[in-house]
Amino acid sequence: MPGLSWLVVFFALPLAIIFVVSLGSRDQYGGVLFEHLGFHNYARALEPELLPTVGNSFKYALATTFFSIVIAYPIAYWISRYGGRRKVLLIVLVMLPFWTSWVIRTYAWMIILRDNGVVNGLLGAVGLPGPIQLLNTDLAVILGMTYGFLPFAILPLYVSIDRLDPALVQAARDLYSGGAAAFFHVTLPLTMPGIIAAALLTFIPAIGDFVTPDLLGGAQTTTIAKVVQTLFLSARDWPFGAALGFLLIVVTIVGTVAGLRFLRQEVVG
Amino acid sequence: MSEIQRIHPPRRPISRRAMLRGMAGMGAAAAFGPTLAACSSGATPSPSAAASPSVAPSAAASQEPTPVPSPESELYVYNWTEYIGEDTISKFEDQYGIKVTYDFFDSAETMTAKISTGNSGYDVTFPTSTYIKGYVEQGFIQPLDLSLIPNKVNLAPEWQDPEYDPGNQHSMPYMWWTTGVAYDTAQIEEELTSWKALWDPRWSGKMAMLDDVRETFGAALIRLGYSVNTTSDTELDEALKLLQDQKPLLRTYTTDDIGVLSSGDVWVMHAWGADVYQVQEERDTVVYYIPEEGGVRGSDTMVLLANAKHPIAAHAFINFMLDAEVAAANTNYIGYMGPNEAAKQFIDPAILDDPTVNPDKALVAKLQEILDLGADEAKYTDRWTKLRSGA
Amino acid sequence: MRRERNPFLTVYAWIVYIFLFAPIVILILFSFNDSKRNFIWRGFTLKWYPELFGNDALLAALGVTLQVAFISVVVTTFLGTLLGLGLARLRSSRAAGASDTLILLPMVTPEVVMGISLLLFFALLFNANGSILQIAVAHIAFSISYVAIIVRARAVSLDPRMEEAARDLGASPRAAFLHVTLPLLAPAVAAGGLIAFALSFDDLIITSFNAGVGSSTLPLYIYSRIRFGVTPEINAISTIVVVSTGVAILIAMQVSARRARALATQE
Repeated sequence: MPGLSWLVVFFALPLAIIFVVSLGSRDQYGGVLFEHLGFHNYARALEPELLPTVGNSFKYALATTFFSIVIAYPIAYWISRYGGRRKVLLIVLVMLPFWTSWVIRTYAWMIILRDNGVVNGLLGAVGLPGPIQLLNTDLAVILGMTYGFLPFAILPLYVSIDRLDPALVQAARDLYSGGAAAFFHVTLPLTMPGIIAAALLTFIPAIGDFVTPDLLGGAQTTTIAKVVQTLFLSARDWPFGAALGFLLIVVTIVGTVAGLRFLRQEVVG
Repeated sequence: MSEIQRIHPPRRPISRRAMLRGMAGMGAAAAFGPTLAACSSGATPSPSAAASPSVAPSAAASQEPTPVPSPESELYVYNWTEYIGEDTISKFEDQYGIKVTYDFFDSAETMTAKISTGNSGYDVTFPTSTYIKGYVEQGFIQPLDLSLIPNKVNLAPEWQDPEYDPGNQHSMPYMWWTTGVAYDTAQIEEELTSWKALWDPRWSGKMAMLDDVRETFGAALIRLGYSVNTTSDTELDEALKLLQDQKPLLRTYTTDDIGVLSSGDVWVMHAWGADVYQVQEERDTVVYYIPEEGGVRGSDTMVLLANAKHPIAAHAFINFMLDAEVAAANTNYIGYMGPNEAAKQFIDPAILDDPTVNPDKALVAKLQEILDLGADEAKYTDRWTKLRSGA
Repeated sequence: MRRERNPFLTVYAWIVYIFLFAPIVILILFSFNDSKRNFIWRGFTLKWYPELFGNDALLAALGVTLQVAFISVVVTTFLGTLLGLGLARLRSSRAAGASDTLILLPMVTPEVVMGISLLLFFALLFNANGSILQIAVAHIAFSISYVAIIVRARAVSLDPRMEEAARDLGASPRAAFLHVTLPLLAPAVAAGGLIAFALSFDDLIITSFNAGVGSSTLPLYIYSRIRFGVTPEINAISTIVVVSTGVAILIAMQVSARRARALATQE
């Protein structure tokens, strides 16, 4: 499969180089020394002080994935079932906002959420007490991240839901004499591959998103991705940053594969 | 494995230099335009107000018969977007007939990573002064041929021999700024004068600090009365404790001081002076001060990258940027103050008189400069990681 | 078949679309802001649009971005589809597990790690220092997984007997793939392509390490401006991109609807 070979050459190999870097140490001015190769950076990376940031990353990523899927499913369903001739247009419309620069999208959110922004302005106009601090909070981060990953959830869900045979859905409804039961027993399991895909496409990049928590979050919302970023760039400690990055990769993959296996066994059987 | 000590290319002897030295010595003054016949004789530099910039063989310095090195036809510059006067590049291109490709980076660290391969393809770049020492050690930049930069006499005396690069051997200063505190007088009635304002619980949730390791630690260290370049563990631990106490009071750490102050979400902020100048356009009640305990000054510089393919054009460019009028045009456009004394007469008086961009010289002299501490940088970054990741 | 209407879902859909486009509305609005900054509304002006056309650096960056995105989408969709299909057809579950891991890797890797690793890779092995092609290669590397995952999800629910049936009827494997499997996969492939485009268009970190002389992209330009203020010019260019894409889609929809109608009336 050519796709695999591409990945091997342009992904695995470069990653291998960085792995070697992670075994080295930082020299005087931020270069990399290869004198005493070893796993000392990994030991450093496992120190407990970084745990809160890992916790933050997982917390945001999980919340984002959950909300993205919950919000995305109904709309994917709606487009598929009720979109008719305009289905494709509606789907592309979902992606359209994301062909702009996210710097500006984030600025736009800041304008909406800040203390004298759109939301607070509306609240004030209606006479409600305020201003409420919306920006630089966990809420803002999850909102921003969910927004950013929503299309990544909508698209795979739509693809999966669209595959459903409407006759099947109708039959299920008749059988279970109720929409909700039919949904849970038939529709949901049949669209599980789509849900899994959506979860993957949201959770994994969400762990690596350091910008949204950085800009929309407060002083307490540092994520592990941001730490890796800082170590590589500001601190120019490539070896430590690399080790940390690798640990993050390993943990996320292990967690995700385990989760997937669980889902597959439990639901798809 | 021992022969591969470093991932960066070893420092190479610059063979071009021999050639440059041989040819350039005398004729360069003529080749590179305005404001200079006077300088070799040691007279005070006066910008040639009337003389329009003229190319290569200018009448003034034709005493030297040696041929003048002519610049290459292209130049590759790597800088922040818009960190240069609006017409500067086109003026340079017109004057020298050199085609300039101007690329940009989003952070100094990205730029460092790119040039660290030794083969970035660029000739000139604009690092912050803190990086110079490290760059020299690692062979990323080459020494300048100062004879090709006669305009350097335009620099103010305090910039002729800076601590980060004695004698300006490897760099020329470009723009400088100060770091201090900004606050919104519309929200805070009393006059603030100290770093302590950023720890005041009365403004909890309305304060922010810069998302910069050395700057933020610098603020804490200066408040404690220590040097911003200290390597003492006890002093650094004290600073860390102070910053940890501050963290719950902060709204955020960010480098977008302009945005955060302009939007009004933050009332007191650790900020860069020249940025506050921009903020005042949006929110004119914001003022800036350098705290009584002291502050930080920093600068950006122009350097010649190792393996630059167009070194002579690069020197021409650097020299051009030090021209009084060009420097003034840069300052007027960007809003940052330059180190160019001769340029002052062309600078917009609004900028010259503004203490946020151009504080009193006596005050500036007392400011500390952040220096690269080599291996000891880890002391700061480890504590920074602790600070940011702790609860 | 009469289409049912579900008022609750319809209202819900409207709300979601409003949510999706709220920041875009603000973005477009502020492209008319009479101020150098993006924070406070000062007044209405059209001046940013003409200025934008005079800004060579910005336009060049947009050009580079579009070129990279185009290359990336084409190659990624092709490779990703093959990969997704192949993965869906794997028999052994051990191979499935391993392949899960492999395609997840690029997505899990922090962007800065991937960017720097590619920088080193290209510098050390090819002595390359950045170019449009290099950026495209990097984008393809991290986008393949997204397409593969979506295609795989769709492919697992395909009935393999369809392709078998086509083969039984005499079609070559290639024809069976092109005329049977691919059309069935089409929505997934298209979705993957859309995502690949968005990923490439807006990528910053990996791009910044792999861009070179004369190959700066739009995100690089915008990011670099943050230090000195993101002017409404940026909003203007984004508005133009969004609006022109929207218009292009509308036209495409009209054309295909007209064609469908023409076909229908022929029968």
